[in-house]
Amino acid sequence: MKDHIREILTDALPAVDFDADFLFSELDSLGVLSILTILSKEYGIELGAEDISPRNFRNLDSLTSLVKSKL
Amino acid sequence: MTLEQSIEHYAGTAPERTALVCGEQTLSYSALWEAIVRKEEELRGEGLKAGRPYIWRSSGDCLFVVTYCAVHRLGAIAVPLEQGAPEESFLAIKRQTEAQTYAPGISDILYTTGTTGQSKGVMLSETALCSCADNFINAFGFDSGLCMIVSGPLNHIASLFKIHPTLTAGGAVCIINGLRDPNLFFEALELPFDGFAAFLVPASIHILLSFSAQRLTSHSGKIRFIETGAAPISSADMAALAECLPHSDLWNTLGGTEFGAVCTYNFNDGRYMEGCIGRPMKNSTVEVDAEGSISISGPTLMSGYVADPESSAKVLKDGVLRISDRGFVDEDGLIHLTGRADDVINVGGFKIDPVEVENAAGSHPDIEDCLCVAAAHPLLGTVLKLLVVPKQGRSLDKRSIALHIKARLEPYKIPTYYEAVPSIKRTFNGKADRKAYRLGL
Repeated sequence: MKDHIREILTDALPAVDFDADFLFSELDSLGVLSILTILSKEYGIELGAEDISPRNFRNLDSLTSLVKSKL
Repeated sequence: MTLEQSIEHYAGTAPERTALVCGEQTLSYSALWEAIVRKEEELRGEGLKAGRPYIWRSSGDCLFVVTYCAVHRLGAIAVPLEQGAPEESFLAIKRQTEAQTYAPGISDILYTTGTTGQSKGVMLSETALCSCADNFINAFGFDSGLCMIVSGPLNHIASLFKIHPTLTAGGAVCIINGLRDPNLFFEALELPFDGFAAFLVPASIHILLSFSAQRLTSHSGKIRFIETGAAPISSADMAALAECLPHSDLWNTLGGTEFGAVCTYNFNDGRYMEGCIGRPMKNSTVEVDAEGSISISGPTLMSGYVADPESSAKVLKDGVLRISDRGFVDEDGLIHLTGRADDVINVGGFKIDPVEVENAAGSHPDIEDCLCVAAAHPLLGTVLKLLVVPKQGRSLDKRSIALHIKARLEPYKIPTYYEAVPSIKRTFNGKADRKAYRLGL
């Protein structure tokens, strides 16, 4: 799942380094919104503002955990 | 009264009142004033002199406001740049601004999109800044009980020009760095103030409506007004925001670095008219001629562009400034915008010259030719798209191109979409046929 998430997010946000360990600091509001939208559509899950936190957006592992927790 | 005189005044009459909040840091008026005086001494020690420019990257926190006011107090000229401004741009602007001499009274130089691929430095006088603050205070009713939430980059007019009226009226400014984390916006609404206001670009409003509409509604009693502008907001988002905040004023303002804030429309009127910017504000005159050209006069206008008298003369003549937006006046006397007459692309309130993006991308080793155009994004409205003609034997590597642009330009100038095309359409004289792409031909 992690590799697939990396692939679809890199496709949408090519300038972002998804292997960074402080991903949240790399993103602007457009980036966060894009990630929420892409992941919710791809996995059919509901994501909201309460899911946006430096912890959930720390790196690809934490994003993968977030998706898994909503499935 | 200038911004700095107002802060000094409240430091004397209401020293403990909160002036600035950013994250964990809160500064009262007296603490803010002391920090400004200390910073002024520091800058003087570094050799900054009255009438000379001081260039720095916006730090997006209380220190930004302290530095901005300290520069003014010293009689120097504030030149705040984007937080992520690349070193190359920073040095080019430093060289350009330091090579000039300035007329007395110039307070700020704000860099904005030019029409030839180069950013332009807009010179603003103290009179222009004060008149713009007065326009806001008169239209929106700032007072000492108001907390203004500022979420945009502080070097951008939309945020910077909210600091002026708020602190001039003795209110508080709460700085949050973008709506990347909307929770910060809602945490700000829990601060102990009588009422709140915010400037939000249409894309930010869309984010809040998409992911936090219920939460927004639960705070409706506290929000006095929301102002938007800088980019078109859809009628649907206007209606949805009005449903969340039925008792708040919801303003759509015409503002620009070259002319300040001059016109505004409260769209919480049940009509939700897209493109409507209402009527001129107190100190401004806005006229639309029969062809739809818009001209603005009044004390909020810029003094001119840095080192570019030709471009200055093109837009500013005899105290009247012509803007690139087109419009009309309806039967009620309300002004409506209908589009732009130039090639500039408006992305979330940032006005981007496509030539600047093309010049940056064009130096990529795999690119033969390219063109930057506007594209529709399902959530964000208008975004940038780069059409790329790859060199023979090369393919489109959008990550490589995006990183190439990222190293040269501000982050908001990186295109969202990339498409390989066999060629770029050009007119008979070799210029990119932007009109054809705008029309989707």
